[in-house]
Amino acid sequence: MNGELPMTIEPAIALAMRDIAKRYGATCALRSADLTLRTGRVHALLGENGAGKSTLVKIIVGAVKPDSGSVALAGRPVAFRSVAEAIAAGIVPIYQHLSLFPELSVLDNLSAFQLAAGRAGLSRKALVPRDEARAWLTRVGLDLDLDRPVSLLSLGERQLLEIARGVGRNCRILVLDEPTAALNGAEAERLFAVVRDLCAGGAAVLFISHKFDEIERLADEVTVLRDGATVIDAAPIGRHDRATLVKAMLGMQVEHEHRSGSAQAEPALVATGVRVAAGQPLDLAVRAGEIVGLAGLVGSGALAIAATMAGAAAGRGEISVGQERFAVGDRREAVRLGVAYVPADRHAEGLFPPVSAIGNASASALARFSTRGILGKARERSAIEPLLRRLYLHPARPDAEAASFSGGNQQKLLIARCLALPNLRALVLLEPTRGVDVAARAMIHRAIIEMARTGVAVLIASSDLDELTALCDRYLVVRDGAIAQELPGAASTEAIMAALAGKAAA
Amino acid sequence: MSSFPLGDRGPSSMPAILRPPAILIVTALLFGLAALAVPRFGTLGNIENVLRIAAILGIVACGQAIVVILAGIEFSFGASAALASVVIVMALPATGVVGAFLLGGLLIVAIGMVNGLLVARFSVPPVIATLGMLMIASGLAAWLAGGLPIDAPPSDTFSWPARGRVLGIPVPILIAAAAFTLLHVLLARSRLGRGWYLVGANATAARLAGLSVPRLVFSGYAVAGLFCALGAVILTSRVASGQPMLAPNLPFETIAACAVGGLPLGGGRGNVLQVVCGVLIVAMLNNIVVLLNLPTAYQLILLGTLVVTAVLLQRDWAFLGQAVRLLTNGRRG
Amino acid sequence: MSPAIASRLLIAPAGILAAGLVFAAIAPGFLSLGNAGSIAGQGWVLVLLATGQMFALAARGFDISVGAIAALAGTLAAMAANSFGLVGLLAAPLVGFACGTLNGWLVGRLALQPIVATLGSLVALKGVALLVSDDGQAVPLVDAGHATSLAFDPVLGLPPLAWLALACVLEAQFLLSHATLGKRILMLGANPEAVGLVGADAGALQIRAYQLCGLFAGLAGALMTARAGAGLPTEGAGMELQAIAAAIIGGTALSGGVANAIAVTAGAFFVQVVLTGLNLTGVSPFLAQVTVGLVILGSGLMDTALRSFLARNRQPKDISP
Repeated sequence: MNGELPMTIEPAIALAMRDIAKRYGATCALRSADLTLRTGRVHALLGENGAGKSTLVKIIVGAVKPDSGSVALAGRPVAFRSVAEAIAAGIVPIYQHLSLFPELSVLDNLSAFQLAAGRAGLSRKALVPRDEARAWLTRVGLDLDLDRPVSLLSLGERQLLEIARGVGRNCRILVLDEPTAALNGAEAERLFAVVRDLCAGGAAVLFISHKFDEIERLADEVTVLRDGATVIDAAPIGRHDRATLVKAMLGMQVEHEHRSGSAQAEPALVATGVRVAAGQPLDLAVRAGEIVGLAGLVGSGALAIAATMAGAAAGRGEISVGQERFAVGDRREAVRLGVAYVPADRHAEGLFPPVSAIGNASASALARFSTRGILGKARERSAIEPLLRRLYLHPARPDAEAASFSGGNQQKLLIARCLALPNLRALVLLEPTRGVDVAARAMIHRAIIEMARTGVAVLIASSDLDELTALCDRYLVVRDGAIAQELPGAASTEAIMAALAGKAAA
Repeated sequence: MSSFPLGDRGPSSMPAILRPPAILIVTALLFGLAALAVPRFGTLGNIENVLRIAAILGIVACGQAIVVILAGIEFSFGASAALASVVIVMALPATGVVGAFLLGGLLIVAIGMVNGLLVARFSVPPVIATLGMLMIASGLAAWLAGGLPIDAPPSDTFSWPARGRVLGIPVPILIAAAAFTLLHVLLARSRLGRGWYLVGANATAARLAGLSVPRLVFSGYAVAGLFCALGAVILTSRVASGQPMLAPNLPFETIAACAVGGLPLGGGRGNVLQVVCGVLIVAMLNNIVVLLNLPTAYQLILLGTLVVTAVLLQRDWAFLGQAVRLLTNGRRG
Repeated sequence: MSPAIASRLLIAPAGILAAGLVFAAIAPGFLSLGNAGSIAGQGWVLVLLATGQMFALAARGFDISVGAIAALAGTLAAMAANSFGLVGLLAAPLVGFACGTLNGWLVGRLALQPIVATLGSLVALKGVALLVSDDGQAVPLVDAGHATSLAFDPVLGLPPLAWLALACVLEAQFLLSHATLGKRILMLGANPEAVGLVGADAGALQIRAYQLCGLFAGLAGALMTARAGAGLPTEGAGMELQAIAAAIIGGTALSGGVANAIAVTAGAFFVQVVLTGLNLTGVSPFLAQVTVGLVILGSGLMDTALRSFLARNRQPKDISP
């Protein structure tokens, strides 16, 4: 009634997390994270990969216990011992179509929380009644056959199904982890309406997304995490502009001196009209001696483009290396032509954990050390050991198994594998220093620059802007699975951030 | 340590040669205890007996080790050895002793290649492929032999691989030594062997590093068949007959030997010394059961328990090794 | 039901039909009533073993010890029956359940690979069976007459024990499609990571799956003992392979999450039809064994083919790797 009255009465605090810390072995996932969710509000959580978002979410949903710090649910301190306890307390997590059961029916999936609760007895199944299940689906705008197996649904349908499953329960706190990654515009609208609905009913929503448009439209408050700590704590949306938020996510950016590349050289790694797995056509050329950065926020598709250029991801077309060419997806031929590759997921795709450091570094270059099938181990050692020394592998134990090294030193082994290629012509790196300590990072950057100096074409996909500005001669900004914009190496950090955020000016 | 890709784990400044691997100490301890506690165990005759058993087991275990390093498993060894023994005895009149042995050996290699093809090219799980092959080979062996053992005509040449001696050393032990040397060269010195470790450690990473994963898997099963062939020839020579039920427990015993030696069944790790020690432990335990006059049932119970406990212990094996090192070397900064 | 899953479940009935037609053409007497009865009578041991195996596979596990469990359970049950009367045969499912608990504990709590855990059990249980039976001697049932009549004399078309086995299979199917436990096991197989995310205990579910597997193997052991009129400690070798083949042919996915006890029963009868048909055509039983081996390889290839077929028909992956 009275327009003058300021909004002084804040809604009640639904969840308060204070000074949360969590270590995994040597790596510190969270140092000091704070998060406050209020009932009836949508709270956006921002942060780049490795900022600690996923660990924080795991703590909220009871999958991980914090080392220190306090968690309070509606004012009462809680310490969940299991996911089941958190769910029972009214916390509903919705993951990125990770927690569906593809072979099971829509109805079974909708009932998953109920099915999983309680003792695994011989009791009759605890399925959601069919008309209630249909009502849940209608709420998110889905009209599905309840007996259809989920494996036959589209990605968007699956995502909405997962949301329907979550909102069907009487939830106090809804955790949405990048819920729109697989949704089209109309589906996303539907989701937003549902979320607002839930808020009106008194739920608190934690909304994790990288799309600023959505955050600005949906969220009431925002928290930004960087390096395991909260850097912006529950600021009302609109207080900070996009560039400020991006800056908070990425940290203080040091303006680097522009590295003068040999731009006049011939293109060394060229894709023309190549089709990436997701379907977008790709044209991309990297010159010999040039370092090109593929800049993109998480989910933009920058990693997929880089992987395709190395022959590590499926697709259609051919990529040429100098005068020769290899078919997209033929990694073996790419290696033969001298295209080195550092994958984004070190453990799943890069490292051979039980094999020695030398064995890890020489994996792509075994032909170089063998004569008639016999491995010249002295030759291998004398070629690889200097590489490991050059990268300051620590501890300097080339015979120790890779699993025994720290993350940074494991990453050095993957870099050494690239250096060991006898005819190295192109180098494709995905998140080359993710989860890597400062010293190793500097060492890896130096190695990349040295390789470029010797005429190697370098393509780096990284969500770490500081890394790109330190290295690159040219930036390609990726949005929605395609290269959206090209920026010169002299481009300011602000300009790149604006391009990343998806607007010419923030 | 002899084999290179098995990186050592603990930070220690001791030269490698002064740090005896834990598995060697375990083997020596078992031998010492048995010699003290079990009557007749320590006699020269019995030791030779143990070594003869260990020799055949060891040769076939070399093949199993390759498959295990590749993160696979091979169940068809016993059945293909039985099939080979029947084929060898049946072929004797036509081909002569050497030809028959060659024929039987080639047959096993061919079976290994089919297994490799199924696993590498058609991504059939190794368990299913090799168990199916077990059924086929043992069925064929029984059918060819009419369900009963067929005797081979007595001949010195035929029994030479099992009973002959060179310089006083039994031939099976010599062949086993050769097999272990070959395995060592393959695993530690050859490009092929290095590929096996890499594929077993992380097949995705191996593909992205540019290795041909299907080719490496196929070759692993084929070479494993070669080792099994050597063992089958000696077995056939020892029983001097074609036996459709020649060695039904051979796959279990070789898997147990690998597990006891400390090869993780998840692949990517293992060396010859571990295989040798694992084989010796299994052979000694079997021998102890016999010497103590226990029912042979105990051999099976022991074998089964051994597989499970060895794999369980592996998680703490590194810990055990370090404890032993601490005991032998004293604490190091 | 999706065409992919339906095709999985229809392979076994189609196989029975095809094999039946082939043998009817080449083996006189294959279609006779007596032969149908003999197939129906003989198949049930395999049906029970395969149903047990189905639970292990559905949870993305594997149990190669079912044959050994059946032999041990059948032998101990024979001994119990000789002391307490035919009721003692009920000891078999109890023994099976205990063995299954052991397997499940090794897999679900100690995180051993299923193949390692059940291989260890297979070998050790074989040994135990030899130990309790005086080195593999059959244990004759004192009351063999009654037991065999339960197993062979038809009442309303099927022998009483076959009716019992059928009831067990139907119970298994009920468990899978209507009970929380069955659904939870399928969830575990369909997506082992997610089952924890929705609040279930994956390890406990694995234990349950192997317990069910052991229970059914024990039932199979009791049936084996009743049919033979004796506990056979060395029987059952090779049966685990037939059981795995029958379960896969019966539509159980090696990658977990898909299982149907009725289809698995059809899978078991397919194997039985092939064995009986070969027998009637006068083929050596050893070659019949070779055929079973080929059927196992075929089932493995079939699973791979179905999986890649499914993968091809799925939506493309997300754009970020």
